[in-house]
Amino acid sequence: MAEQGFVVSRETAWCPGCGNFGIVRALAKALSELGLKPQEVLFVSGIGQAGKLPHYISGNVLNTLHGRTLPTATGAKLANSDLTVIAVGGDGDGYAEGGNHFLHAIRRNVDITYIVHDNQVFGLTKGQASPRSDRGMVTGTTPLGAYNEPFNPLATAITLNAGFVARSFAGDQEHLARVLKAAIQHKGFALVDVLQPCVTFNRINTYQFYRSRVYDLDQEAGYDRSDRQAAWARSWEWGERIPIGIFYQVERPTLTDHFGDIVDVPLVKQELARGELVEELLHEFRVG
Amino acid sequence: MQTLNIKIGGQAGQGLVSVGTILLRAATQEGWHLFAHQDYESRIRGGHNFFQIRLADQPVASWEDDVDILVALDETTVTQELGEVKPDGVVIYDPDVLGDAAKELVTKENCIGLPFARMAEELGQPRIMANAVAAGAVWALLSEEITVLHETLALMFADKGEAVVAGNQQVASHGFERVRGLLGARPRPAKPAKSRPHLVLRGNDALPLGALAAGVKFMSAYPMTPSTGVTEFIASYGREAKVIMEQAEDEIAAINMAIGASFTGVRAMTATSGGGFALMTEALSLAGSAEIPIVVINAMRPGPSTGLPTRTEQGDLRFAVAMSFGDFPRAVLAPGDVEEAFYLMAHAFNLAEEYQMPVVVLSDQHLADSYTTVPPFDLSKIEIRRGKLAAPEEAGPAYLRHRFTEDGISPRLYPGFGTGLVVSAGDEHDEAGHLIEDAETRRKMMEKRMAKQRLVEDNALDPVLCGAEDPEIMLIGFGSTKGAIAEAVAVLNSRGCRAQGVHLPQVFPLPRRLGELLQKPAQKFIVESNYSGQLEELIASRFAWKPTGSIRRYDGRPMNAKYILDRLPGGECRG
Repeated sequence: MAEQGFVVSRETAWCPGCGNFGIVRALAKALSELGLKPQEVLFVSGIGQAGKLPHYISGNVLNTLHGRTLPTATGAKLANSDLTVIAVGGDGDGYAEGGNHFLHAIRRNVDITYIVHDNQVFGLTKGQASPRSDRGMVTGTTPLGAYNEPFNPLATAITLNAGFVARSFAGDQEHLARVLKAAIQHKGFALVDVLQPCVTFNRINTYQFYRSRVYDLDQEAGYDRSDRQAAWARSWEWGERIPIGIFYQVERPTLTDHFGDIVDVPLVKQELARGELVEELLHEFRVG
Repeated sequence: MQTLNIKIGGQAGQGLVSVGTILLRAATQEGWHLFAHQDYESRIRGGHNFFQIRLADQPVASWEDDVDILVALDETTVTQELGEVKPDGVVIYDPDVLGDAAKELVTKENCIGLPFARMAEELGQPRIMANAVAAGAVWALLSEEITVLHETLALMFADKGEAVVAGNQQVASHGFERVRGLLGARPRPAKPAKSRPHLVLRGNDALPLGALAAGVKFMSAYPMTPSTGVTEFIASYGREAKVIMEQAEDEIAAINMAIGASFTGVRAMTATSGGGFALMTEALSLAGSAEIPIVVINAMRPGPSTGLPTRTEQGDLRFAVAMSFGDFPRAVLAPGDVEEAFYLMAHAFNLAEEYQMPVVVLSDQHLADSYTTVPPFDLSKIEIRRGKLAAPEEAGPAYLRHRFTEDGISPRLYPGFGTGLVVSAGDEHDEAGHLIEDAETRRKMMEKRMAKQRLVEDNALDPVLCGAEDPEIMLIGFGSTKGAIAEAVAVLNSRGCRAQGVHLPQVFPLPRRLGELLQKPAQKFIVESNYSGQLEELIASRFAWKPTGSIRRYDGRPMNAKYILDRLPGGECRG
């Protein structure tokens, strides 16, 4: 399957029927429709089944450590702001191991898109509780049911005034591609939490479970995505009805903006050493 | 060598660093060589700290225990440090801060009571100018004229306006005149015959200066003593130097950000200490596996755990060499003084990029915080080598980031330059950078990466030698013990004992030349600042060798010549 250069691989290490297939296809569609070329895109991923996604789509790839996707992507974007940087990971990778980085990447408002494959379970390690597991979910590490308060990534992101906070569903590629396009176009940190059925280890949050519950906020008459309080309230809606779409969107200066003149040309395209500047600095330490 | 030691003691926040900085700049201007080290506690106010300056008529790279001039800004300096003052030394203390018991200790004629803050107030100046009073008082023991001290104050306070400069000069003269009036003319410390311009700077200045000269474009770090000076230096010159310094949420983020930046093609680094360095272990192995150049400065302090945060040790050597799950190539450098610190940073970046691997630069608190006078650095000696690069126009769709080559080095392409795609992973991967499971590719990829380690060893920096070429005694060390060892060697030779110092600016992989030196028929001692003898273990395991003896220090205080000489066994020339 080819989407104008963003070739999606047929060979993957994913389970048949995995929600990840829908995500990679929607992503290829979004990137193609935006007119990007694979060499202009850098995918940064961590470890987990979601972390393998960049290997199954055309583009530059840095497949890094578990949980460290966001700092790595931040460094890459700061060094070469010409690259479209897309960070990809699962809910274990991003909300457990990488939880601290998640908070600070939002605070920095680095201009990247962060796609979280949210299947509420650890897949690659074969079925343990994730920060997103609902209370009571029986897993390999929670035989009596998960007992910790589930992490709410959308509420957290809105609380931190993330510029773009969205949720989509791997079973609705049209919706997902549309949200991803908006996320990639957004100037600043864009979170797209994707409800992604794990067909092997999560028998509760299935395709059917979501199909019968999700509704599109973007179609809601009168929903104002610049209203932070309303977005925050919607982010807690989880039950018979589960909202998807863009919850919250505001523009604020990005991390690159802050560095101003330093990055008038991307760092990687600048001359490396500035001998005359170092001479000047050395002069400050010169006595006599 | 003729030396004079000035020790300024006081509480944190009292201004002893200001007094020290004024004096060391003025003394450098006057023509002395100097070495100044700092001893401070892990606190913001109070406690007992000191700033110690050693003036010399020759280049000097270490410190001495005995004190010629003690400046006591607080009572503890009097009660604790008086014993270190030489019989003909001078004590300048502030009577306003001494209790009755402490006053009893400073009744001799070489003890001068100067109420620094009150003296500033007598002239209508603020109490904070007590620092300049103290500097002026000390200057009376160093020079006939106050001119150079005045010039120094003018330079240092220029941005605060003429009134502040004039005020400081006025109170400095007050201190100067008072001491001169009390003690009269005293013998001046010996100066070098010729006075030339010098840089006076710390390791924490030289390392970031070296990084800037090497073209670093990105730094990310989390503050941790004693490495923070490097981070703040890069941050403060970021705009002018066009370098990004991003403060990370933790050391894990710091090194991973730098790795992300480096992957795109810029020179990137991080700096940390002990515990933060440990947190970087996993990312260091990522850089090894994904073949991403990265330079990590680890300013060592005594561990384990938080240890002694503001003091010095060389206890991370074993860890820096071994920190790894799985095998990957690396180099570990250990500059011994500010000059080496400056030039080795460029070497570190070259090694990192030529071999596409992590390079650790081991500093420590003693190197980081100690000032030395050195001849101006020569930027023409800085060579930038970026290693094998793929030409973007040639690197088309067939580009393989981890292509198998004879020497194990695959030409790098920066993502976004040309149509080739750059794919890399910490997971085991094939030539294209995609994930694999098969045994054959794994074996070949491991051999490709480790082939680079052999090349790094082939090109390892040779030991830096001093002293006799046919020694009876050889002292071997690395990092900040360089100056102490060199001085101990000079003392031994002056006593007619043939001694040689062997300093290792590269501790991993060790240079083969060291193996040859170990064949010399001398008695050999390993000098290092850690408990277990980490350098000794490293050399022993590499060359199947044992030293005659070991001299170790692990009380958090820096090595010096006396410490080494006191522990050399037997022999009349050892004192």
